[in-house]
Amino acid sequence: MTRKDALGGGEALAAARLIARREIAAYFDSNIAYVYTVGFVVLANSIFMNDFFLTGTADMTAFFDRLPLLLAIFLPAVTMRLWAEEKKHRTIELLLTFPIGPREAVAGKYAAALLLYALFLAGSLPIVVMLFVLGRPDGGLIASGYAGALLLGAQFIASGMFFSALARDQIVAFVTSSLAAFALVLSGNDRVVEVLDGLWPSVAPGTILDESVSAMPHFDAFVRGSIQLPSLVYFGGTSAVFLWMTALVLRQDRT
Amino acid sequence: MPSAAPPSRTTPSGLPAGSPGISVEGVTRFYGSTLAVDGVSFQVRPGEIVGFLGPNGAGKSTLLKMISTWLPPSAGRIAVGSHDVVEEPLAVRRLLGYLPEHNSLYEVMRVDAFLEFAARIRGLRGAHLRDRLDWAVESCALREVMAKRIHECSKGYRQRIGVAAALVHDPPVIVLDEPTHGLDPVQVVAFRGFIQGLREGKAILFSSHVLSEVVAISERILVIQKGRLLADTRVEELQRRAGEAGKDVEAVVLGIVTAAGNA
Repeated sequence: MTRKDALGGGEALAAARLIARREIAAYFDSNIAYVYTVGFVVLANSIFMNDFFLTGTADMTAFFDRLPLLLAIFLPAVTMRLWAEEKKHRTIELLLTFPIGPREAVAGKYAAALLLYALFLAGSLPIVVMLFVLGRPDGGLIASGYAGALLLGAQFIASGMFFSALARDQIVAFVTSSLAAFALVLSGNDRVVEVLDGLWPSVAPGTILDESVSAMPHFDAFVRGSIQLPSLVYFGGTSAVFLWMTALVLRQDRT
Repeated sequence: MPSAAPPSRTTPSGLPAGSPGISVEGVTRFYGSTLAVDGVSFQVRPGEIVGFLGPNGAGKSTLLKMISTWLPPSAGRIAVGSHDVVEEPLAVRRLLGYLPEHNSLYEVMRVDAFLEFAARIRGLRGAHLRDRLDWAVESCALREVMAKRIHECSKGYRQRIGVAAALVHDPPVIVLDEPTHGLDPVQVVAFRGFIQGLREGKAILFSSHVLSEVVAISERILVIQKGRLLADTRVEELQRRAGEAGKDVEAVVLGIVTAAGNA
């Protein structure tokens, strides 16, 4: 049976934009945007400044190296409410009986969370300015690091949305999506890979996870200034799969 | 934001000629192994106000959720303006003004922002958007609370905000789940006048568990209990029967329900 619940291009874009606007307003109305942005900027920048005073080199590698673990906590806190709150307050039935499809709703909420995350990252731009004032950093390397940070964040937000769609409670959504993000990060950690490989040396499960599942090899490539097609495909593909699964959950999980 | 909407999303002006507003044919719905709605059939034609009566848990909301495209029927067929709810959910939602059970609203939004969102997401733009928002605000008497956040509004206001959001795009098919819930008696009377003023060319179905409200507002009553439709009767007919038996309408409906319970 065909189910005609996808809008045409222009209408879909207009609907997604309306939803994104509503979500962004909700982030600011509930003060989440202010609190998270200030918290993230203060933490990320102070961790970097600590490293910066120790090493004294004009580059941002230390900032990007610390970012994944920070994002694994902050981004689930951004995405946890996206669907769990709609379910808890039952507004999801109102939203999804408007003449839009789940696809537009997912796209709009995704865009809103991405924008909030872009605001977080923009809070680190003073570091870039400072480095250019104090020394001669490699601009391309910094830009590539930001591109990687955006893609990694896009992946965490997509997976966070999926877990929020599964949960009825924001805390559950936060914990599950944070665990998933940590799994994507830690599966690329050298020590974790070593320990896992040691458990079953003939199979080397740690290496397999690192090479197939983990976000870290791809993110690290960006931080080192290398933008490779497989990494773009990895981030784009995993994000798309999580978004698709979110829409799937929204079609099925109805009471 | 574009000022003109594509033609397909403009306010539906009405139903195709001759199409029933809502058509429910042999609809059954299970929740897991629990039977919530059992082989229900009825129609609501344009120009009709039909009240859906039944105790809590009778299956009213489940049926309305299926008409709204939120839940698919386990069996049977539902059409709104000749569009099947499962096959063409978007076409159905464009024709529909739906107030869900519990009237859940976006609590932190301001009333004006919420109503505008509800209008824009139905494709209303420009002068038409302004006109319809004005109409919704005036007819639901919301002017005073427009700048408030929804969670700051009283229950009566919240209910009217939900109704305004459901009707802002002038839909030809209106499905309201417990629209009078939380209204005081004066507001119920005002609501009756409001709904009856809307009826021209529209198919209206609303639910309530308060018999006197259903009798006062609608001209036809559907009585549902334990998922089964017990009666589909005109209010006049109930009044005639009540007159003949020397009882009131309430007693007649109660008779129908108890007779079904004993059967």
